[in-house]
Parts: sequence; structure tokens; C-alpha cells
Amino acid sequence: MPSAPDVAIDAGAEWWEIEPRQHGVFDRARELWRYRYLWWFFASDTMTGMFRRSKLGWIWLLLRVAGPVGLNAVVFGGMLGVESGGPPYFLFFLCGTTTWVLFERSLLFVTRSLESNRKLITKVYFPRLILPMSAVAPGLLYLAILLIVIVATVIYYFRKEGVWYVTLRPELLAAVAAIVLSLTFTVAVGLWTSVLQARYRDIRYGLRYVMPFWMYFTPIIYPATAIPEKWRWLVALNPMAPIVELFKWGTLGQAHITAPSLITAIVLITITMISGMWFFNREEAASIDKL
Amino acid sequence: MKSLIVEGVSKRYWVPKAQKSETTESRLDRIRNFFSVPLARELVGAQEVWALKDISFDVEHGTVLGVIGGNGAGKTTLLKVISKVIAPTTGRIRGRGRVVSLLELGAGFDDEATARENIFMNAAINGIPRAVALERFNDIIDFAEIPEFVDTPLQYFSSGMYLRLAFSVAINMQPSILLADEILAVGDMSFQERCLQRVRELAEDTGLTVLFVSHDMEAVSRICDRVIWVKDGTLHRAGEAEDVVTEYQNATWELLTSAEKPDAKGSSHAGRYGEILEVKLLSSDGREIGSPPRSEDIFVRIRFRTYRAKTRVRCAFDLFSKGVLVFRSAQPELTPVGPDMAYEAVAKIPANLLSETTYTVSVGITLIRGEGEEHALVVNKALAFMVYRENSEESSGTLHRTGVIDPRLEWSMEMKPYAIRA
Repeated sequence: MPSAPDVAIDAGAEWWEIEPRQHGVFDRARELWRYRYLWWFFASDTMTGMFRRSKLGWIWLLLRVAGPVGLNAVVFGGMLGVESGGPPYFLFFLCGTTTWVLFERSLLFVTRSLESNRKLITKVYFPRLILPMSAVAPGLLYLAILLIVIVATVIYYFRKEGVWYVTLRPELLAAVAAIVLSLTFTVAVGLWTSVLQARYRDIRYGLRYVMPFWMYFTPIIYPATAIPEKWRWLVALNPMAPIVELFKWGTLGQAHITAPSLITAIVLITITMISGMWFFNREEAASIDKL
Repeated sequence: MKSLIVEGVSKRYWVPKAQKSETTESRLDRIRNFFSVPLARELVGAQEVWALKDISFDVEHGTVLGVIGGNGAGKTTLLKVISKVIAPTTGRIRGRGRVVSLLELGAGFDDEATARENIFMNAAINGIPRAVALERFNDIIDFAEIPEFVDTPLQYFSSGMYLRLAFSVAINMQPSILLADEILAVGDMSFQERCLQRVRELAEDTGLTVLFVSHDMEAVSRICDRVIWVKDGTLHRAGEAEDVVTEYQNATWELLTSAEKPDAKGSSHAGRYGEILEVKLLSSDGREIGSPPRSEDIFVRIRFRTYRAKTRVRCAFDLFSKGVLVFRSAQPELTPVGPDMAYEAVAKIPANLLSETTYTVSVGITLIRGEGEEHALVVNKALAFMVYRENSEESSGTLHRTGVIDPRLEWSMEMKPYAIRA
């Protein structure tokens, strides 16, 4: 027989309280820290879940990056001859699509995060906020692959044309900032969509429907300068546009980006995030009743 | 010292109004539903249901509290509220220390991951650092008796192994309060016994507080100090285990017997070829009884009539207890019957077979006409009765446990001149 586990009960053990109203932001943050070991579990679970029962496994990951990127580059750069305004179109497209793929891929996973862990949520307690936040993990995988492809492409063009299109310089930090902004925006939108998805499965269908439109609305396959002057204010309302441009500016050093558009994006992201937190907090309990 | 205080807790659910079932819904209805505005349909259709109504109680440090009540009474909802899985609509719960819940077999377990991975996953869910989980790893595996399956995915586990792992993980998560919902519904007797024993030990030695939901009244009265009885979402009774359990059992029995009309669901006592007239439980001297002693033979008498000629019949009944089928007994062969006649089939249940608990009987008659056209008459829950043990019967003391049957087996023991190896 194993030894009896010494159950940790001291008279001073902390009292906790459950009430209908939700706890404050400070309590929530402390709780997230207390459950920090869970982050990695959910992240790795989402990632391994992608390839469960698949024979090709991670090769799918490569294919899903290579396929669309290659196809778009050939169609728009080669056949339609869209001008990049400087660097080779393939590299231009690659840098443009990186933060977008990160956003698009992660958002789909974040949206499903509550729904796909339904069994767990309705049986065991843990801070639910961990789920949407750790569901960006698959997006990070795509990001890693795209970054590797970018490096390889840059080296290829150096050997071919003798030009370093991306060099190590301080502006690269802007690219990092773009990635952080993109992730933040994903989680911010995901806080809304994941809760709604738990009630209405339409959300994911809707997202899948909207995403391609959103992509064409973002300067990825075309340079931002190609947008007519009178429509630029509209594009400024799309936070993904400055993010994509910021990444291109950080890597290729060539993009159309203005301070007002960037500030608008940051403000919009912050508003989405704060309102998302509020919504998630408020609706979490009600949604779980309906899962 | 209190370790859990529940004050005025209620829980309201919004439940969509019962829609017509697929089968009764006409095709037109279905088409209309499909095209109706989805959101509007939802807003109109909800009605409130109170799963818990103003429940208050508290639990002393180191107590095993039994939670009993019928299906759908709100026991599980109560446990879910205490474990924070669902939020209460009103009220307040205060408690001390870590709450670990065993709400359902396999909750918090991933079938496709190995036992090892699941142990760490569970530790993380309970907010326990990997290092601490590592320390306890061997204890968990040993208590669960699965050392050779540590790296096997759970989908290959038997339900017994699954339960052992789940229980072992839960008690090793340093709980101050353990919530256990029907954990002993599966698993073999010896493991159940060990679990119950361990629960008692932990309560006594370390002051673990346990909320134990079970339908097994025998286990409840044995390990619980106090019992609360939840009925229709309210706290119906609270008190010493023995008292509440006895009261509960009496009430359940009355409920069963007072239900004069057999359960209509799935019943078709009359058909084209015949009709079941009555089902009675009789003693050996022919009296009708509701509560026979264990030491006497009892008889299930089925009266039925037939309508058609060239019919053969076979009577059968199912005996249920504690939600399980104890046995099904059927007449060994088909008997030819005449048209418009009444018959009486009697089955004897021998003495000293049934256990000291409640039973229900469902009756079925198969009528076969001509070359195999088969027709069934069924009465679900046609009888309910409770077997009691007379005081004179010798008791096997501490070894006594109430199973679904309690046959008296023949035992023998003699001295054998085998050499005992040194």
C-alpha cells in the first residue's frame, strides 16, 4: 500500500467565496497566475489536436502554408502581374501575409476554444480565460514556419541577385511589434467570438465566410499605395491593415504607413480587448449553462 | 470548525420550451421551422427552471457528508455550483482550501493521452505545480493499480481502470474538500471498498471534508457522518446518516408502491392478441404482499387473457434493483393457448435469494401466432416491493453488504493435510 497522502490542510487555509456576481479584474489576474501550469497544456493540446489521427501530421502544416502562399504568389505576382513596388513579389507577398495568417489561423482556433473543450468546462473548474488565450498556439506554429520561409527566401534572393532584401537593423523591432499587435487583436476579437460560438454555432461559419473578404480588404496581395486616396480612410478602420504594413516596414523597410492609421489601430485593438474582457467575464457563466 | 458554508444557493436555468419531437412533427412543421427566424424562435421559446432553490447547509471539517435524492433532484447541480463549474443565480458559498471534484468518470481526462500525461494535466487543472505532481506520481499509480499501463492511452482502459485512476488522482491532489458524484457506480467491489475506506481515513486523519453523492444507501449509511437529502432542488432533510437514509428509503418505497398505475412509458399491456390483466406478488399461502421477508418463498403471478386461436405464449419478467437488471426469467417454452381465455402464470422466487432492498418487476408476454407473427405485451414497473430481513436471521456482522441479491450459499471448510512450505 502506498503511504497516505498528507493532505495539506492547515487551520489558516484561505477562505474562498462563490457568489453570483463575477470577481474583479485583480482576482481574475491572480487566478490566471495560479493556474499558469494549464497554459502549456491547452496550447499543446490544441496543437496535437490538429493532427490527431492524421498520417501526414506536421507535413499538413507545411502544405497548408506552402499551398496558399505559393498559389497567391503565382496568380497575383506572376499571372496578373501585381506590382510590389520594389522587392520581388514573392517576398513582398510573404511578408504581407505573415501577420495575416497568424491572425486568421489563430482566430479560428480561439473562436472554437470554449466549444471544443465543452466536456472539460462543464465538469471541472479552471479560469476559462486560459482557453481563448492559449488557443493562439497553432497560429504561432504557422508564424514560425512563415518566418523560416522568409529567411530562406531572403537568402535565395541574395544568392540570385546579390541583394539582402531584409537586413538586421533596428526596424525589425517594428515587425516584432506587428506580431504582438496581431496576437493581441486575435485574442481581443476571440473573446467575443468564442463566447458567442458557445451559443450560436453560426459564428464560425460566419467568420469563415467573412475572412476572405477581410483579406482582400487588407493590403496583402497589393501594396497599400494601390488603394485610391478617397478610400484610405475606410482601410484605416481595419486594424489589420496597419499591422500588415508595419510588418512589411519592419522587414522590407518599404511600406505605406502613417502615424494616425497606426494609432487608430492601437486604439481600436484596445477597445476591442477591454470590451471583450468585459463581455467574456459577464457572459461566461451564462454561456456555460448553454454549452 | 467549518470547512464549507452554503447559504441560500439557487440556480436558475433557461430551458427551451419542449418542441414537438421529430416523429410527431409533420413535414410541413419541419419546413416551417427551418425557415422561421432562428433568433425569434429562441427568444419566444425559453422558460425558467429552478434546479436549486434556496439551499443552505454547512459542513464541519473532517466530515463525510452524504448527498442523496432521486434522479434530477439537483444533487449534481449542487456539486457543480460548489466546484465553481456553474455560477449560482443567488446565494453565497464559502469554503476553505482546495476543492477537488470527481463529478463524472473521465471528466478532465483526455482519452487520447496516456495515463501519465493525464495525471499532469489534472494536476495543472487543479493548480498543482508539475514538481509536486511528480512527487505524487508513484502514489497515484500504485493506488490505481495500473503501473504497467502508465504510458497507455486512456481509450484502451477498462472502466474499472479509468475509475481507479480518476479516484487516485483526485485524492492525491491535496484536496481540503472532495466532491464525489456517483464515483462508485462502476469499478469492482474490492476497489470500491478501498475507496470508501480511504475516504474515511482521510476524513479522520487529515480533516478532509467529503461530499459524497450516491444512490447506494448501504454505502452512504456506512461511511457518511451526516446526510442531506435533496428533493426537487430544495434541501428536504439534513441530519444523522442513519436517520435520513431510513426516512429516504421509506419514502422511496411508498412512492413506488403508491404508483398504482404502471409506468406508461414503453408499456403496451393490451394488444390485438391478448391483454395483461394484473400482476401480483404473493406469499406461499396465497396472500398478496408488498414487503416479504427474506426467508420465505414469494410468487409473481401474472394474469392475462388471449383473444385469438392458434396462439402460443411465453411469460417473462425482469427484476430490477438499484437501477440494474438483477435477472430476467422466462418460461422455458411456448405454451399453446385458446381464444378468449384467461390464464394465470406463476413464478416462484425462492427464499434467501433476494437482498434487503427494494425491487421492481416489469412483465412481458410474447404471443406468437401461427408461423411466427410475434407480438409483445409489456407492463413496466408492474410491481414494486421491499424485502426485509428478520431479526432472527443470523447476521454475518461486519461482512454484511447489500448487493442486488443476497443468496445463501453453501460453505464448507475442512482441514487438509497439505504440507505448508516453510
